[in-house]
Amino acid sequence: MPDWKQIVRQRLAGSGLDGAREAEIVDEMAQHLEDRYMELRARVSEAEAQRMALEEIASDRLIEDLIAARRAAVQPAPLGAPAPRAGYLSGLKHDLKTALRAIRQKPAFSMAVIGMLALGIAGNAAIFSIFNGLFLKPLPFRDPERLLDLDETAPKWNLKFVGISDPDCYNWRKGNSTFDGIACFDTADFNLSGLGSARRVHGAKVTYDLLDVLGLKPALGRNFLAEEDRPGGARVVLVGYELWRQQFNGERAILGRILQLDKQAYTVVGVLPREAAFPGRAQLWVPLQLDQNKREGFYMNGVGRLKRGVTVERARANLLSVHKATAMVKEETSPILMPLRDRYLGDFRPISNALLGAVAIVLLIACVNIAALMLVRGSARAREIAIRTAIGASRGRIIRQLFTENLLLAGIAAVLGVVLGNACLKAMISLMPEDMPRWISFQMDVRFALFCTLVTGAAAVLFGLAPTVQASGVDMRSCLQDAAPRTSLSRGRRYTLSALVVCEIGLALILLISAGLLVEAFRNVLHVDPGFRPEKVITFRVSLPNVKYEKPEQRLAFFENLVERVRVLPGVQAAGAASAPPLGGHWGNFFTAEGAPPLGPNGQNPVVLQVVVTPGYFDAIGITFLAGRPFDARDGNPKGPYVVTVNESFSKRYWPKPADAVGKRIRHAWDEKKEWMTIIGVTRDTKHYGLDQEMRPSVSFSEREIPDWDSMSVVLRSAINPQMLIAPARDVLRQMDPDLPMYDVRTMTERLDQSLWARRAYSWLFAAFAMVAVVLAAAGVYGVVSFAVSQRTHEIGIRMALGARPQQVLREVLTGGMILVFIGTLLGLAGALLTARFLETLLFGVSSRDPLIYAAVILGVAGVGLAANFVPARRASAVDPMRALRTE
Amino acid sequence: MAVPSSDRELKKGSAELLILSLVEGRARHGYEISKLIESRSQGMLRFHVASLYPLLYRLEARGWVQGRWVEKAGQRRRRYYRLTPEGRKVLAAQRHGWRQFAEAVRRITGIEYA
Repeated sequence: MPDWKQIVRQRLAGSGLDGAREAEIVDEMAQHLEDRYMELRARVSEAEAQRMALEEIASDRLIEDLIAARRAAVQPAPLGAPAPRAGYLSGLKHDLKTALRAIRQKPAFSMAVIGMLALGIAGNAAIFSIFNGLFLKPLPFRDPERLLDLDETAPKWNLKFVGISDPDCYNWRKGNSTFDGIACFDTADFNLSGLGSARRVHGAKVTYDLLDVLGLKPALGRNFLAEEDRPGGARVVLVGYELWRQQFNGERAILGRILQLDKQAYTVVGVLPREAAFPGRAQLWVPLQLDQNKREGFYMNGVGRLKRGVTVERARANLLSVHKATAMVKEETSPILMPLRDRYLGDFRPISNALLGAVAIVLLIACVNIAALMLVRGSARAREIAIRTAIGASRGRIIRQLFTENLLLAGIAAVLGVVLGNACLKAMISLMPEDMPRWISFQMDVRFALFCTLVTGAAAVLFGLAPTVQASGVDMRSCLQDAAPRTSLSRGRRYTLSALVVCEIGLALILLISAGLLVEAFRNVLHVDPGFRPEKVITFRVSLPNVKYEKPEQRLAFFENLVERVRVLPGVQAAGAASAPPLGGHWGNFFTAEGAPPLGPNGQNPVVLQVVVTPGYFDAIGITFLAGRPFDARDGNPKGPYVVTVNESFSKRYWPKPADAVGKRIRHAWDEKKEWMTIIGVTRDTKHYGLDQEMRPSVSFSEREIPDWDSMSVVLRSAINPQMLIAPARDVLRQMDPDLPMYDVRTMTERLDQSLWARRAYSWLFAAFAMVAVVLAAAGVYGVVSFAVSQRTHEIGIRMALGARPQQVLREVLTGGMILVFIGTLLGLAGALLTARFLETLLFGVSSRDPLIYAAVILGVAGVGLAANFVPARRASAVDPMRALRTE
Repeated sequence: MAVPSSDRELKKGSAELLILSLVEGRARHGYEISKLIESRSQGMLRFHVASLYPLLYRLEARGWVQGRWVEKAGQRRRRYYRLTPEGRKVLAAQRHGWRQFAEAVRRITGIEYA
């Protein structure tokens, strides 16, 4: 006899009645059904009696009626009035409760769906938020699409951006007819003293109209005046918003205050708006006080606001004609214009695009997997749905129930995904380099998270409704029999499942190959020899204000003294200082060697990095010599020769062997009156601009030859943990001058790590995505093949009873599954060959068709596919014919 | 439902009256009530579990009937419903109303009823 209590209990599931009351109702109704069944049994067959008894509770309004009964008013209902209906909301509550229970009943399935959805949503939302911040969100300036970055380019110097010279800036500003305004600026850092301990602040020297060009207004006070921006103009400063809030508590009284910047007094005339954290990390602005007659070099950046309706092309032509007429070096430099965003973030575009692609693939795989899972589960639920239909649930009711269930799954996953995505985003932001422009901000993009939720949720809901389509064609009575459900998949749905599996494998393969290439490229970069020994080296920077350290001799003495005093600190093995240690900036110049043929009109004249160093620097940083010797006490004698060292790249330009260079003479190319310099040594090339960047020729000077250098990085090689040297070195500096801040304190390893942040981040992100994709795809293959096997248990049983051997069954199931893997692999391979080309700019020392990586990935995918197929195939071959047949 | 659909409204309105009438003389359990409705209407009226019990609970909630679990020797416990004094008043009022209603219908349609 059926368990009536159980049936009634199921029927009342989620009614919201309190437990005791529900139990009473269950008891009472079950008793009734049992009585009815026993009575019917005397007349009709068991099945018929059961069917008729079930009809007794076949009402899709039973629960509503029961709830309404509880709330019945004392007043009698008028004759013929409709019975009170439960509201839509209580129906929804019921749906939600039932859905929650269904989710809890199948924890593994629910977790799988939620996990996949959440993963897809989290990855997409986080990466998209980055992409959005970098490339989509408008810059916080007025009409940002009219803003252009301006610079000069000099292909002959092997430099894309050389900077704008003072006269060029002056002429561009004066002569153009296509811009509402052109502003120039140069980053300039200052020692800010007189406010507690001395600190280093990032700042910028700007033409007075930069704020106007950006379309911003001061948050407080006024903008610079034109007369303050002339050589010898008043010393005034616009304080950045952040600095104002932090250092001056956002007080209005800051206007008119005097700030000590590099020991000079500047009057605060205003506060910059929050958006004007520009350029880079600038915390304050001072007037540039441009001198059109200064011919020192190229060092500024420019930003221009196009007149309305003017195209970039017209502006370029206009600026070029101005440049050709007036420029400082007409033949070799020309203006280069591009949208502001491209200049600062253009480097990130290929990475972001690739990551966005990867994320889309993972999302797609997640959707495909969810679809497959839903299809499979739908078939498994055919019986449950048949029962529901039998006890009176309408088709609409069941659709609504399944809809709610899947929506709930998607909803939980969405919440989880957004939380997880936010965590990912935070982690990624923390990996970003410090010099990321401050006007770029990354926030979780709620609209996009919503979009992901919709996409994945739609997949879940759509494919989740499949069982209702099936239910309409199900023979209810056979389903209700206690025998195992034998509703098998229709041919169409079987093909759908196979196609989904093929897609998954193909997509996973594409991602795996991309990840393999990128990780290999990253490994290559890591194994690049930097040309120096970064281990156990710490560097910090000290800048001397020109007011206090007026004479070059003072500065030379200070740095020599500082290096001598830190050299004897316990734990220090070697100490030195350089104007620009590796990854520490660029200062370019042009050189020629004695006797070298003059440059032709189209000859390349690559720019040369020049570095000013103290004796001991090469030893401290770990740069070795191929020939000759480093600087020592002999050098820098005013009566002696002017000596320099060059690197291997420089030496190669003129001499076949490094040893040939030693003793030869070079001089600055742009001035024939300049003194000849004798090469005393040739160093190995160092990766000055980053491990994945090109080498440039370089020349190093002894600080004694160019003593007017006011900012140096001190380099300490340590026998102990280099961090331990920071405190004693700071003490030394404080004793020498308490107003001097020690800044940019980092170990060389940290510098290298930070220079590789982007490559590291996206390589591992890619790898993570690929792993997720493979796990999802394997789960998909496993699920689909397992399901197919469970569907065929009966058939396999018959065949084994007729003499098929387990190995045959195993082989057959395996072959069926592996054909899908094979087709997927082929498609994925074709896809990977197409997509890997887009990665080419990111690959370092790896071909986009690296056969080893392709082979390894294909083998890996085949292996995973085999494993995922083997488990269900094994299960099929272990079918006991007797048991399989008995389930008939 | 066993009743043809045109009778549904009629049945809905009269259901309370039927049940109150059946428990007037003595307390009865749900199955007994449903059997009595079926047999006394000669199969014309039948109440399924899904409609009978909500109705019983509604009457109980209004205080017109009272249900109580009773255990008798040799039988499983059942819930018996008996008419409350309040229910008795309602039954009288409903009987009166029904009579007037039926009379009105008769006058219009000319249908005689028992």
